[in-house]
Amino acid sequence: MFFENVDFSTLELPPAALRLREEVRAFLKAEIAAGAFTPHLGHTEFNAEFTRKLGERGWIGMTWPKRYGGQERSYLERFVMTEEMLAAAAPCAAHWFGDRQTGPSLLKYGSEAQKLRFLPAIARGECYFALGMSEPGAGSDLASVRTRAERAPGGWRVTGQKVWTSWAHKASAFFVLCRTSPDAGNRHDGLSQLIVELDAPGVTVRPIRFMNGHHHFNEVFLDSVFVPDEMLVGEIGQGWKQVTSELALERSGPERYMTTFPLFVELIRALGPAPDARAQEMVGRLAARFWTLRRMSLAIALALEPGADAGHSPDLGTEAALVKDMGTFYEREIIDAARLLAAVEPTPDATNTFERYLAETIVCTPVATIRGGTTEVLRTLIARRLLGPLK
Amino acid sequence: MNVPDEARLMLVESATRLFADHIDQKMLDAAKRDGWSEKLWQVLERAELPRVSIAEELGGAGGTLSDAAAVLRVAARYCAPVPLAETGMLAGWMLAGSGLAVPRGPLAAGPVHDETLTARRDGGRWIISGKLARVPWGRMAGRLALLARDGDRDLVASVDPAQCKITPGRNLADEPRDEVVLEDVVLPAADAVPAGAGVTREMLRYRGALARSIAMAGALERALELSVAYAQQRVQFGRKIGQFQAIQQELACFAGEVAAAVAAALSAAGVLERHAAGRAGHEDAMLAVATAKIRAAQAAHEGALIAHQVHGAIGVTDEYALHHSTLRLWAWREEFGNEAVWAMALGRAMHARGADKLWMALTKNQENT
Repeated sequence: MFFENVDFSTLELPPAALRLREEVRAFLKAEIAAGAFTPHLGHTEFNAEFTRKLGERGWIGMTWPKRYGGQERSYLERFVMTEEMLAAAAPCAAHWFGDRQTGPSLLKYGSEAQKLRFLPAIARGECYFALGMSEPGAGSDLASVRTRAERAPGGWRVTGQKVWTSWAHKASAFFVLCRTSPDAGNRHDGLSQLIVELDAPGVTVRPIRFMNGHHHFNEVFLDSVFVPDEMLVGEIGQGWKQVTSELALERSGPERYMTTFPLFVELIRALGPAPDARAQEMVGRLAARFWTLRRMSLAIALALEPGADAGHSPDLGTEAALVKDMGTFYEREIIDAARLLAAVEPTPDATNTFERYLAETIVCTPVATIRGGTTEVLRTLIARRLLGPLK
Repeated sequence: MNVPDEARLMLVESATRLFADHIDQKMLDAAKRDGWSEKLWQVLERAELPRVSIAEELGGAGGTLSDAAAVLRVAARYCAPVPLAETGMLAGWMLAGSGLAVPRGPLAAGPVHDETLTARRDGGRWIISGKLARVPWGRMAGRLALLARDGDRDLVASVDPAQCKITPGRNLADEPRDEVVLEDVVLPAADAVPAGAGVTREMLRYRGALARSIAMAGALERALELSVAYAQQRVQFGRKIGQFQAIQQELACFAGEVAAAVAAALSAAGVLERHAAGRAGHEDAMLAVATAKIRAAQAAHEGALIAHQVHGAIGVTDEYALHHSTLRLWAWREEFGNEAVWAMALGRAMHARGADKLWMALTKNQENT
């Protein structure tokens, strides 16, 4: 029924991943000691210098082919990289979307010229991508995007508005999901993906401030922006298929259950070596839920591996959606346990790390269950897979 | 690729066929009265399923603990009313691990609570005494595998239940949970030997908790299957109830719980296997087993109630199949320690190690210890 063809009994990380873990831990420890970054929870920070250092080490786009700047390392090594960055609350915003979404999309659907132009730059940590998916009228219902691209000599003219575009004010370019032919009944047809450079004439980026005043979200206005033909990603009219396959691929990584993990660590520190029974029980439950989510996430990462045995790879699409759903709720459980056990007041500018983390995570609590597929949309999708068509 | 080996896939396939062919509602109803199905047991014996994980030279099939776990998951999915876990994973393991023969027939293991049996030597024989509460399948067992205290060491004794005073008891699902009293039971010297390496009361408890976690995963799968099938058929307000988003959201949550229980329980079987082979530490074993029991029990709590909610009133009757699964879930989550007991133990261990070791403890790779 679930995990049908997964062998959990032998599911372990290979030696290469363990060596990498040690390297990454040592690197992060040294960076923190040198004051290269201060760990913050909530939205990961944009730190171009840090991203360049990761690029130098070959730690961005690490599963990609070498000819595109990658290292041809395994998905499990990438898994380890991601979880170490999250455990250290490292500032990964600059390379996040390029490494996780636009890079893999380009590899799968991009032209040779696009791959050669963008992938090595992303991997070096010098080219930052944002994602232009949501619009004022298209949130969960992504297929109702209205941004349109019209034919122009040598390319397209794009007009419309994107919202919740994280880090568009710092990124070099973004992937824009737009309508290239009018909606003729089937809403999923006629959508395409274009790469739009954020300094192109006609692009205006305006901040949308988060409730604590932080600026990472933006709205991006496109006013007849010229996009040359060679910036079309994949095929005209196939944008929907391309976007949804990206989503399925990336649904279940450690970022779905680890964004509040450092708060868990600080909670244990705050409670000391021998807390009361209530604290023991809550911490035990949190540890058990973490370990289970990680086992599921690992199983899915391994199934993504394009191994020799690809025909044998289990289809874990439903499991991936389940991990996202449960993972985002797990992140909340950590926040609640921290609140209830420590009984401190969350203080954004506290010198005490625990109190600061608590403040940083509480304000971001609503975000995880909205972005990347809301809880309700995910559960509807999961139920459809369970129930099949009902008429 | 991380897929089960061919042998295990075949084992699961044949076990599934066997349980599907031999278990029906009538058998389960009769087992509520009789405590088990002897007929089913005979079928399992012929298929060599109870001793999958016992070494070949000791009368088993020579498989791994994960092979036994795979069979147990299927058995629980079909609510098999037989002492499968007790015979192979508990009693069989105790006997085989201590160099005693593993007899054919159903076996039971004890103590499963914190009682202590005492053993004393009397010339060429052993005399064993003590009282054990709620021994699973005690009265069905052809042989009892018992840990008994002899001074500062533990013995494993193979005891004929006819020598014990057994008072039948039962759990919520009418599975036998019997009181077993030994009043100066006399054993030939050869029937009680020092417990083999790794055969400890603690490990018996770990394996018991693992067995119940795996069984809960299987029972949850069945409860979800029944709920999905019901939502596909039942019509209210002119629509199949599965078309209502409220029902869809419940089923999706249920699915998550089931997937988590499966992942945690099967992972723990692998860790205990490596622990027995000296490739995983004691703390890893504890983390894995505690996680399995906590997560499966939580899933049992959430899942059983969602299953009943989706079914409405029909689900609570003794005519409808669902209760065979949900009664087992509610019984098994308490056996060998409930989620609170294991969570406290796990939490204590995490605190004792301290904040800076948490991440390391959770990511430790058992292969490399």
